[in-house]
Amino acid sequence: MSRGIHRSLSPRKRRTTLTLPADSLNEAQRIAHARNVGLSTVIAEALSEGLRLQKAAERREEVLESYKKAFSGFSDEEISILNGVILEPAPRH
Amino acid sequence: MIDPASGPFLFDTSAESWLGRAEGSGALEWMREYLSHHEIHISAVTVIERVRGYSLLWRRAEESKRVRIEAARVAYLTKPGRILPLDGAIAAVAGEIMARLPEPPTAPRRSHRLTESRPERLARWRFDGMIAATALVARMPLIHNNASDFEHIRGAIERAPERFPNLGPLELIRCASLV
Repeated sequence: MSRGIHRSLSPRKRRTTLTLPADSLNEAQRIAHARNVGLSTVIAEALSEGLRLQKAAERREEVLESYKKAFSGFSDEEISILNGVILEPAPRH
Repeated sequence: MIDPASGPFLFDTSAESWLGRAEGSGALEWMREYLSHHEIHISAVTVIERVRGYSLLWRRAEESKRVRIEAARVAYLTKPGRILPLDGAIAAVAGEIMARLPEPPTAPRRSHRLTESRPERLARWRFDGMIAATALVARMPLIHNNASDFEHIRGAIERAPERFPNLGPLELIRCASLV
């Protein structure tokens, strides 16, 4: 029986048991009913979107951290040089 | 305030470091919100200016400081973002800008006992022309921290729109106006 169920699932899907907040579950069931799709579809979509946002947030923090490392600890004069303003000692006349 | 979601924007060399150093002000939150919607877009010219800057700092630095400079350079080069290359269209527009504005609009920079040479000023001016051309061709507003140069370029483009067909105006956003 169990093997039969597993065979019926797509190779990229897995069955699991989750404990979800009742409000969220009720809302997901309402959406599934309104769209005439299964509850699993709605939960999978919501999870996918949540993971996408989480990944984007992690990437955003990585970028900010890289910028911080790239530019912190330099004096204004050094930042000028990093900005392409190359200052040299003034020639003596 | 400029809505971060209204991007993407092209970041000039000085604007990129201004935002990269933002701390404790609205600038950091602006940057965080911007990154929620868009990637940082810079010109390949900015990479040239930046890497040259790191290299010059490294060469001038004492041995003890070199590790930190190299770590900063690596952090800069490994950060995700989009670098817009110099292609034929951008080169053509940049050439037009340089022909119309052969001389920098302001004198070389000076600070205490230090000065920017005329060749360096000219090179920086031409780099600015390439960055402005990149923004024009990419049809992106340019965020900058260098009003004297870019406003001059914008004015020249507006005075001769026939030389920049189907392009422009050059839309400029000052860093200070972001937040």
